[in-house]
Amino acid sequence: MSEQSPQPNGDAATDGDARDPSGFLSEIIGAPVTVKLNSGVVYKGDLQSVDGYMNIALERAKEYVDGEMKRNYGDAFVRGNNVMYIAADM
Amino acid sequence: MGSQMLPLELIDKCVGSRIWVIMKGDKEFSGTLLGFDDFVNMVLEDVIELCDTTWLIRLRMQSTNNNASDYTGARSKLPKILLNGNNICMVHSIALSYGQKSNS
Amino acid sequence: MADNDQSNSVSEPLDLVRLSLDEVVFVKLRGDRELKGRLHAYDSHCNIVLGEVEETIYTIEEDDEGEETVKTTKKQAEMLFVRGESFVLISPQPPS
Repeated sequence: MSEQSPQPNGDAATDGDARDPSGFLSEIIGAPVTVKLNSGVVYKGDLQSVDGYMNIALERAKEYVDGEMKRNYGDAFVRGNNVMYIAADM
Repeated sequence: MGSQMLPLELIDKCVGSRIWVIMKGDKEFSGTLLGFDDFVNMVLEDVIELCDTTWLIRLRMQSTNNNASDYTGARSKLPKILLNGNNICMVHSIALSYGQKSNS
Repeated sequence: MADNDQSNSVSEPLDLVRLSLDEVVFVKLRGDRELKGRLHAYDSHCNIVLGEVEETIYTIEEDDEGEETVKTTKKQAEMLFVRGESFVLISPQPPS
């Protein structure tokens, strides 16, 4: 682990009900998620990975503008500064 | 007494309880706070997202006795989210919400 | 980072960008602009260098009757540096 991550990835977060976001993130890796950007654009896909900047790699990403599906991407890298939230689809 | 509370301590006290998050712009979230980090990125559960809160803000300015049920705009429910702390403006516990007056 | 056996997998988001090096990528910029070009280089800020680029700009035009239409403008560039903060998304495949 040579890289620096601004997000604390403490070992304390490995138990079930983690109190910092890394626990939630490891919980939803590989799962279908909804990513909403500050612009209101929504991406739905399978979460491949996230880093401390909230950069996101999605698989089977679909782009929704005003609730309408606009595009299909195989893989997509979303830059973290645009992200408002990542929601687990259930 | 010199008992000062740090801002993040205040948020730590909200872990496990329902909070209201007011974002920069016209968006608000309400949900149960499960956790957060030093950047105040938050993990929220049973979330309600209110998309256009300009009307709600106007109501609050007119009267101190109203609550979110007056909100008529688009809302969506999300089971569990990681909310980016970057655009969070203000956070308060639901217990101190509008329309619930405490005897002071 | 030096795990060679992981060099083809995506363990952090930027790996997706790394795996797209020398490939044609689709880049969505802020302000309704898109780029398509060959990814020559990137860094940790997501600054990128694209070659053989086609830029598409979407603008809304209002005609005399007040009707709004989306106009697309295309531009070509041989080589382009894109500052990381100005883009939203990179995809290794063209969208469908």
